[in-house]
Amino acid sequence: MDLKRLIKEREFIFLDGAMGTMLFDKGLKMGEIPELLNIEKPEWIIDIHKQYVSAGSDIVYSNTFGANRYKLSRSGKTVSNVVSAAIANAAEACKGTDTLVALDIGPIGQLLEPAGTLSFEEAYDIFAEVIKAGNDADLIVLETMTDLHELKAALLAAKENSDKPVITTMTFEENLRTFTGCGISAMAYTLEGLGADAIGINCSLGPKELMPAVEELSRCTSLPIVLKPNAGLPDTVTGEYSVTPKEFAQLMTELIPLGVKFVGGCCGTSPEFIRELKAVFDGRKYLKPEPVLKSVCCTPANTVFIDRPRVIGERINPTGKKRFKEALASGDIDYILTQAIEQQHAGADILDVNVGLPGIDEKGMMVKVIKALQEVTDLPLQIDSTDPAVIEAGLRCYNGKAIVNSVNGEEKSLLSVLPLVKRYGAAVVGLCLDENGIPKTAEERFAIACKIVSRAEALGIDRRDVFIDCLTLTASAEQDGVFETLNALERVRKELGCQTVLGVSNISFGLPARETVNSCFLTMALTKGLTLPIINPNIEAMMQAVRAFNLLASYDKGSVEFISHYGNSQAVTKTDNKESQGVDLAYAISNGLKGEGARMTAELLKTTEAMTIINEMLIPALDKTGSDFETGKIFLPQLIQSAGVAQSCFEVIKQHLAANGSASESKGRIVLATVKGDVHDIGKNIVKVLLENYGYEVIDLGKDVDCQLVVDTAKAKDVRLVGLSALMTTTLPSMEKTIRLLREQLPECKVMVGGAVLTPEYAEQIGADFYARDAKESCDIAKKVLG
Amino acid sequence: MKLEHIDTDLALLYMGSRGRDVSPLMPLVRECEERLLKAVDPRYTYRYFSLDKTEDGLTLRNTDLILKGNSIAEHLRGCDACILLCATLSAGADTLIRKLSAEDMASAFVTDCLASAAIEAVCDAAENEIKDKLPGKFFTWRFSPGYGDLPLEIQQKFVAVMNSAKLIGLNVTDSLMLVPTKSVTAVIGVSDTELPRSVRGCGCCNMKDTCRFHKEGYHCGS
Repeated sequence: MDLKRLIKEREFIFLDGAMGTMLFDKGLKMGEIPELLNIEKPEWIIDIHKQYVSAGSDIVYSNTFGANRYKLSRSGKTVSNVVSAAIANAAEACKGTDTLVALDIGPIGQLLEPAGTLSFEEAYDIFAEVIKAGNDADLIVLETMTDLHELKAALLAAKENSDKPVITTMTFEENLRTFTGCGISAMAYTLEGLGADAIGINCSLGPKELMPAVEELSRCTSLPIVLKPNAGLPDTVTGEYSVTPKEFAQLMTELIPLGVKFVGGCCGTSPEFIRELKAVFDGRKYLKPEPVLKSVCCTPANTVFIDRPRVIGERINPTGKKRFKEALASGDIDYILTQAIEQQHAGADILDVNVGLPGIDEKGMMVKVIKALQEVTDLPLQIDSTDPAVIEAGLRCYNGKAIVNSVNGEEKSLLSVLPLVKRYGAAVVGLCLDENGIPKTAEERFAIACKIVSRAEALGIDRRDVFIDCLTLTASAEQDGVFETLNALERVRKELGCQTVLGVSNISFGLPARETVNSCFLTMALTKGLTLPIINPNIEAMMQAVRAFNLLASYDKGSVEFISHYGNSQAVTKTDNKESQGVDLAYAISNGLKGEGARMTAELLKTTEAMTIINEMLIPALDKTGSDFETGKIFLPQLIQSAGVAQSCFEVIKQHLAANGSASESKGRIVLATVKGDVHDIGKNIVKVLLENYGYEVIDLGKDVDCQLVVDTAKAKDVRLVGLSALMTTTLPSMEKTIRLLREQLPECKVMVGGAVLTPEYAEQIGADFYARDAKESCDIAKKVLG
Repeated sequence: MKLEHIDTDLALLYMGSRGRDVSPLMPLVRECEERLLKAVDPRYTYRYFSLDKTEDGLTLRNTDLILKGNSIAEHLRGCDACILLCATLSAGADTLIRKLSAEDMASAFVTDCLASAAIEAVCDAAENEIKDKLPGKFFTWRFSPGYGDLPLEIQQKFVAVMNSAKLIGLNVTDSLMLVPTKSVTAVIGVSDTELPRSVRGCGCCNMKDTCRFHKEGYHCGS
């Protein structure tokens, strides 16, 4: 018997019930590692499995939920010892029956970045080790997951280190999200894309409470649905579960119409529950759900259904942007993040990410930027590169279902890009061009679109995941081409049923009044069936066109969104005017008026030298807030607000200088890091904003930073001052170690330290040069060291 | 649980207000409070354990968790049982603060301080529920790993016993930090008879000599 046959031949597949609950009954103490019992008390484990086999389980889960190297690290046993013993116990119990043994894998027990300190790649390795050790199992189960990224690491590890079928289940709360905020549709679309064989829900709630979750799941997947609920909700004081086996089984039958195929129990259930399940399910028929799957891209917390025009923001791209190129070359990820946030506020639904620049490591940069973007935005990303290796690296680390930009009709492209799209379960933009370039006519472009779709389908990529780009040509050069593009687009939408993409801004290249041309072309394309315009959402005319179209085409029901955007526009303009009256840069800075500060700086730059603005306006204003802070007139949040305004002024100046081909002046470089093991980085981030205001170039290594990396960076970038932050007593040893390494390898570099648990005495004791009691003091220290 | 509002006075104290005029900041504080309340999904879990005195310290029955040290022994004097409490403001708080850090540091800092005040309110709510569930019992205040000489190292065993990763999404890192960061673990003593009033707060805090709140006559609220 194997899983595929089981799915085909049986109406329902019966899983087992709880392992932990049974072990506590046998005498396991709370807090002990249950997986060690595979070796210490194999007879207990075999007995429990046997009870489930005789109760009617078609699949039993091995006692390996936490058998990973992290959880076993202090047990004295290896993963291989524990897992192989566990599989042998389960196999022993199943001997002579048709029951299959599943290698059971739960969460690692350490959260992945950015919440925790574990990297995606380390998580993959940890899972791969368990999967290799469990080679004798019949299938793999990944369960009780709350982080989609961790589950992706596990599923990739399973797919790449074994050929067994994989069942995955996540744990949802009443709000239909996991603890880390993952929604059901995001789970379903991501995991089906990654090739799971069955997906579903386990733990947390009882069958009754899980009904809405299963309902949503049945609308989002064509895979068999797995359900392993708890025996109701536990008593808050004693932890006892209250639903009886009979009630449980009865409640489970109510989920049959929602399409459950695999049924079992989690915490609080026992063999009796499985026996009852089997009895009441007897004679019932499996009802396969018939969901209408949609074109989708997602992050864990945000599924974007492409059931109406959705805006792809084009700004994360260095082409033609000096400031962006400068940021890429210097590794200034923060600048890239501001581009993302700005587009999100402007109304983008999806962000295109292109970091290709001659001379940089595009692959490394893509991974870095995707990880950083996913920390600060829930918008799905479109991975944009001409290099398949860059695309693969991006797809691998991406959390959710991404879009690949792009494949085209060239044989080389089809062969290298489509398999990646399939393997990582992404969607893909298909460009209507091939070896012969961009065809002139709509017919020829449509033909390439057909070819791309059929090649994708041959690999098992559904056409709902192929987004066709009929290519915008420049109207000033090829005026007749405009309607070829639009006609091709219309045919793709109508005849192929695919989503359509267009880079809109290209149309007006070389023309005056580009915004007018762009927004008119956008509207024309939308009426022909454009669903994914790639535009600059920061240009209001473009978003106005999209919002007006959505209203007129009845996507925006009751004009709700349109009115919420534009209903108050007059009032907004009025306040703006009022605020601008009698306001100067110093006032804006001391009163935290961010937008005003940036606007006034731009205005001033028309008449005043950048250095004059910095030295005669910005720095004196900053000095004033600094001294107000020191004398206690204002307190920390106000100081940070002022620093934030100044930061936006400096950014305007930087852009101005970059556009004119001159570089911003730096007073010196400083490395900042929150030490290894520490994940609290707000203090360090505040220090960074202030230091940048005073003209220092800050290399921010982030949080949980490896001790040696601080030294290596300081060395490579010729840094004379390092700032280290720690919040907990437990991470002070990492701070001490980092200082020691710096002393050994870079004795001339000065070190300042700060953080909640530090004192001047302790700073001295661990060998720091300076103790900074607050962010302002760190600027004074920088001045002392770097001038 | 649903959190309706946050003690902004306490949050402002964390921000360093100490008697200053906070009115210019209040619009931002209100805005951040509103966003934070929308972003979080506070949860707690607690459980009742009988206490056994052993050579090593106080053992929680049916677990392998031992509470060592003089401070906890003093704290639980007269108690034959205790409640372990795990509470978290949820990952939503961390995610919001992280997003705001990239957007506007002042909002990030204000939200961080609001979140610190909010988790105290979550613990208070849990404590009230516990008191309602166990009428006629007497309770000590909340004592957390790392207070006095109760080692922070029990944090990992604490959350393992409480199964808090599964129940409320609360984890501990290798460096013994709670994740989500705005979280609390605590021991509350339970007794059938009235308990002596014990020293609470600053008097038994490890930070009392260096704490800036304490020096200036304020209290951090925990």
